Amino acid sequence: MVSWTKYLWPAILFLWLALLLLPNEVLSHESQPGAVEIRHLAGDRYEVAWRAPIYYNKPHPARLQLPKNWQTIGQPVQRRTRDAILFTRIVSTQGEGLDGQILRFPGLESTITDVFIKIALADGSVMTTTARPTRPWAELRGERSWHITAREYLFLGFHHILLGLDHLLFVLGLLLIVKSRVMLLQTITSFTIAHSITLAIATLGYARAPLPPLNAAIALSIMFLGPEIMRARRGEDSLTIARPWLAAFGFGLLHGFGFASGLSTTGIPKTELPWALLWFNLGVEFGQLVFVSLILLLAWSFRTLKIVWPKWVEVVPAYSVGSLGAYWTIQRTMIMIGGF
Amino acid sequence: MLWPGTATAHLVTTGMGPVYDGIGHLLLTPEDIIPVVALALFGGMRGAESCRKLLMIVPLCWLLGGITGFGGTNIPDFPVQAGSLLLIGLLVAGDVRLPVPVTVGIAGLFGLLHGFMNGVTLNNELEPLGLLGITIALIVIITIVSALVVSIAEGWKRVAVRVGGSWVAASGLLMFGWYLKGA
Repeated sequence: MVSWTKYLWPAILFLWLALLLLPNEVLSHESQPGAVEIRHLAGDRYEVAWRAPIYYNKPHPARLQLPKNWQTIGQPVQRRTRDAILFTRIVSTQGEGLDGQILRFPGLESTITDVFIKIALADGSVMTTTARPTRPWAELRGERSWHITAREYLFLGFHHILLGLDHLLFVLGLLLIVKSRVMLLQTITSFTIAHSITLAIATLGYARAPLPPLNAAIALSIMFLGPEIMRARRGEDSLTIARPWLAAFGFGLLHGFGFASGLSTTGIPKTELPWALLWFNLGVEFGQLVFVSLILLLAWSFRTLKIVWPKWVEVVPAYSVGSLGAYWTIQRTMIMIGGF
Repeated sequence: MLWPGTATAHLVTTGMGPVYDGIGHLLLTPEDIIPVVALALFGGMRGAESCRKLLMIVPLCWLLGGITGFGGTNIPDFPVQAGSLLLIGLLVAGDVRLPVPVTVGIAGLFGLLHGFMNGVTLNNELEPLGLLGITIALIVIITIVSALVVSIAEGWKRVAVRVGGSWVAASGLLMFGWYLKGA
């Protein structure tokens, strides 16, 4: 290994220990946003569909609270799909319009997921807004300008990558394998291109990867890097060590489908789709760049401060990446086959 | 613990869980982040050995202080943050050459006091994991800032760091003024 990469180990170990200490819910899965779709039927009648995502058999802790003056007509319907519970009801707004009405989500403040609200009017126009854990309510408004949509999805992408610790761990693994700055640039670019491709085709509906096997495969990609990191440390050679950009591209395709799961559940209106995709991806890239920069900056700082680490510290990240990848692979496979 | 005072929570909620809340809290609380950066600047001016000590002492004492503070309800009726800003700002501005043990002692006391106040003010708002977030952020900030200062050459860049220290000291004086005025 070239000397500068030697200092990556302690930096990665430090961040890795921090990851290990994060709460289990955060470690085990990414944020799956909830979604509300309000469809105008006729007059003051609307169909309200609240999609509460289920992940690892945990129902979404938030519930939808409609404005007080809205009246439910008929019997609400509850339907469970593979990854969500769908609550549908017809409401009357008592002659009032939607503008200025407030939807509340009690319980959302105790989660780390957003809720996307889409309103489809009879004239074909579509409006969207978002409720967040920090602001568990949404005011229904008219059409939004493009920059509000852009900010919304940029934040969602950034949020998604920061909570997607499996994606970050994969990037960490790649950082441990690369031997030079040029290789680092090639590898990160390759990963970016690959996940952008699958994020786009999945979001545009050309391909779909079911979530449970996809998550197991993502975990497998992390586990795969463990032995490769050790080989690289020993000075051995392999296709991944010689051309890490190749592994980054191949597995990046998988990770792109994972990113798409954070976007597809939001029910993006067709008119907003290109913008949403672009800004969400930029948010993901920004988060990834912040993370990589932080790692490299920490490595440089440790070197500048002449911090001497014990020998055993250098193997901890490789074993941690490999064993956590293995743990997630087993856990997610069990979930996939219905063992949990 | 024995001083009277009201604890007022000022938690930053990121919506991304308690660890990120802790990180956000430190980064967005000027009376905590400014003296931390100033302390890292001071450590950097004193060289790599001082930095390595600070890197161990400050986060550890902050964490211990925070854990202690979680069990407390009162904060000292004394402007601790203003005192930190003034003292550390003056040390940086004056490029004061203290023995390493004295530097470590000041850093430890600073970490304990600020950590304790964090613990008291956030004990109803922040989960213990939030303290972990604060500790992680402390380690990252102190490492990077102090390494940047260690790496800069002598001359005008060092003067720039000292100017930064004088601004920190001035902020501390201003806060003292507000405190005495009862604002």
